[in-house]
Amino acid sequence: MDTPRVRDAKDVEQVVRAAIASEQPLEIIGHGSRRLVGQPMATNAVLELSALNAVTAYEPNELIITVQAGAPLADVLSLIDSKNQQFAFEPMDTSALLGVSGAGTIGGMIGAGLAGPRRIRAGGARDHLLGAHAVSGFGDSFKTGGRVVKNVTGYDLCKLLAGSWGTLAVMTEVTLKVMPKPESERTLVLRGLDDVTANRAMTAALGSPYDVSGAAHLPNSAFRSAAGALAGLGAPGQATTLLRLEGIEASAADRASSLGKTLAPFGAVEVLHDAVSAAIWSSIRDVLPFAAQGALGAWPVWRIVCPPASGGALGQQLARDTGGDVIYDWGGGLIWAALPPKPDAQAALLRARVDAAGGHAMLVRASELVRRNVDVFHPQSGGVAALSERVRLSFDPKNILNRGRLLRAVAT
Amino acid sequence: MAILMPASDQAVLDRRDAIVAALRTIVPGEGVIDSAAEMIPYESDGLMAYRQPPMVVVLPDSTEQVSKVLKYCFEQGIKVVPRGSGTSLSGGALPLADGVLLGLGKFKRIREIDFDNRVVVTEPGVTNLAISQAVAHAGFYYAPDPSSQIACSIGGNVAENSGGVHCLKYGMTTNNVLGCEIVLMSGEILRIGGKSAENAGYDLMGIITGSEGLLGVITEITVRILQKPETARALMVGFAEVEAAGECVARIIGAGIIPGGMEMMDKPAIHAAEAFVHAGYPLDVEALLIIELDGPGVEVDELIGRVETIAKGCGSTTLQISTSEAERNLFWAGRKAAFPAVGRISPDYLCMDGTIPRGALPRALARIRDLSAKYDLRVANVFHAGDGNLHPLILYDANQPGEMERAEAFGADILRCCVELGGVLTGEHGVGIEKRDLMPEMFSEIDLNQQQRLKCAFDAQGLLNPGKVFPTLHRCAELGRVHVHGGRLAFPELPRF
Repeated sequence: MDTPRVRDAKDVEQVVRAAIASEQPLEIIGHGSRRLVGQPMATNAVLELSALNAVTAYEPNELIITVQAGAPLADVLSLIDSKNQQFAFEPMDTSALLGVSGAGTIGGMIGAGLAGPRRIRAGGARDHLLGAHAVSGFGDSFKTGGRVVKNVTGYDLCKLLAGSWGTLAVMTEVTLKVMPKPESERTLVLRGLDDVTANRAMTAALGSPYDVSGAAHLPNSAFRSAAGALAGLGAPGQATTLLRLEGIEASAADRASSLGKTLAPFGAVEVLHDAVSAAIWSSIRDVLPFAAQGALGAWPVWRIVCPPASGGALGQQLARDTGGDVIYDWGGGLIWAALPPKPDAQAALLRARVDAAGGHAMLVRASELVRRNVDVFHPQSGGVAALSERVRLSFDPKNILNRGRLLRAVAT
Repeated sequence: MAILMPASDQAVLDRRDAIVAALRTIVPGEGVIDSAAEMIPYESDGLMAYRQPPMVVVLPDSTEQVSKVLKYCFEQGIKVVPRGSGTSLSGGALPLADGVLLGLGKFKRIREIDFDNRVVVTEPGVTNLAISQAVAHAGFYYAPDPSSQIACSIGGNVAENSGGVHCLKYGMTTNNVLGCEIVLMSGEILRIGGKSAENAGYDLMGIITGSEGLLGVITEITVRILQKPETARALMVGFAEVEAAGECVARIIGAGIIPGGMEMMDKPAIHAAEAFVHAGYPLDVEALLIIELDGPGVEVDELIGRVETIAKGCGSTTLQISTSEAERNLFWAGRKAAFPAVGRISPDYLCMDGTIPRGALPRALARIRDLSAKYDLRVANVFHAGDGNLHPLILYDANQPGEMERAEAFGADILRCCVELGGVLTGEHGVGIEKRDLMPEMFSEIDLNQQQRLKCAFDAQGLLNPGKVFPTLHRCAELGRVHVHGGRLAFPELPRF
């Protein structure tokens, strides 16, 4: 069977209009690298955007890039890297975690909205999406935002598109903010801390004036094998707490020294430099300790977002109560939890604990059967859930786009 | 008034006494104001050319009261205009003759300071500056700093997605708020987000921020706070040509330097500011840049040197580097007083707020110069150069017949020019009523319909702050209709399974 090649926004409009007319829900994909995420969908046709892959405009001095949604993320990253720039929110590459190949497309990056360690300092995908052209479930191409960083003209629909998992509109072209890459970086390493103490160390670091751009903790683990660059940190049996500083060389060195003094009560501090440091943070960004090919590859993986200062206690309790394994990012505000397989991925237990801590949890990796039986995305309270549904219907009243991906109830 | 507001509902006006009485049962005592004299302070916001007394002013002091007032108005079909401190420069809080003006001024309490999670939970009537002051003892501050920060409320900041001189590096309001309690027009109270970095589901906080009081009434906000940078120093650099100053801005950014603030003033603005505050600005330059670098001392010192080299390479004619906090503040004094300084040299002025790509600055200033000649009105330009946000101040005299209309037409042409150059109608002041009728310059009907559909998801009857932002109002039922185009499958080869 031929793969339909939509060439431009007009083609996308036509496909969506045809889908509306024939009541044919569409699965929206770029490279399909995140198809395994979400509730199993009630779609029976695929709209593939990988042919919309042009870089429309890259203006390094304006700190913006405009690209079509199907452009490969890896290509765009290497393009902006050639001008020493980056997406400051450190988009996560989900391929190792999900056990698929390829980092996917720009559209997928925005739709998933999964930011890496620097989120605590630079914000998430939603903070870097300046403008978009998209086709709604009305079959109409619309634009929102613009091509400048400072803009309050009209509602900021970009915020909704980021992290909407393709359920509101089919993005065709986006304008993203790019930022200069730091000239150098340092990672301070503390060893042997329990989760709660590590959380306190990260809180102290993030509450310091030293502009910490990464704060992660890898507890000791009986399950995990050392993964990626993290292998260089020593045995996974030993807990490591990692704090990143970035900037010009003189500044990074100066702050590393100052932060080291702040952290002295938590133990001896080692300092890693530049390339070694960078490799560690990309391993954390991509959650390599829970990679599909690793020792915990068969375990379902949860992504928990919570108030950062309560992360250590929450994660420690979860690991104990579920017999699972956790790692922390965002100073404790992001917990990745791999849990021993159960039919419900231990959703009820985990969500009760997470709710009590004021957080929310998403089941990022699980078998289709488990995802069918569990709310993949965190259930919301009645009023917020109803409002979210009205918001979704304001974009896609016929439920054409990625039908049922976010809500189990709709997947009928 | 050149801007048409929605027609008043005579049936509502006829019931005014009963409505006031009903509101008094919800908000007792002085919380309901209905005398013409006492309502005068609420007739206008920061866009003072437009005035309209509301039907009645209500000043609730609890979320429950807000909810009951909105529920009552919802059931009775009465329009509501929310208001914070009333500093909007785009008329976002302009009352309606048949509407309730809902003031949040009594929500003045900071509810929680949580240093471990680096957030402050506050009521919406607290001023922007008061948040920074409340956490200053621990070295923290709230980053967005609109120039009205002494007076403007954090609730208004969220409604308008306010910016400030430091948002190039630290972001606007939307990048610094985490959650809120919001009351919908129906009276329903919702909690969105909280102390976590992200909320679950769709980013409702992101859409509420900058919605200009059209989606709901915010009764509590959770904001991020940051540690104050260890030090800050500024350069004040003069150029004989605007183009050279623009080039300098581009090269600084191109060199990977993101200053804490980077402001530009043109000659008329420099002269007005210098006459007012005597900051020592050079008077023989065409453009002045104030570039502030903040962070650890060692970093700031190094970057000051790099910026100095870039500025000289761009042909700067004067260059001073602050050596003390007093001197840095002096550099800023003129810029921060630019608006009142212009107020001294002209009976009235209009403050515009477009954004353009940084590189288009010389072209934009040339166009503004031409328009100034065409409309025969003086203009002074101050400019958040780092992020392309332009604030032309159009000088006029409202007592001269026709001059205000001419100034408004001049302003509209400037904003059209911003859009033509690849920019937008408003960078931080909001659309309100001021730029409402210019929205079609930037958005098609389809674009605007999608935004209004979203409005319908929050306020299906269009009772909350109608007449703002959108040039044409549509019924939600009409917007929600899906048009089936032909019913033919355009891509019959679409794979199916």
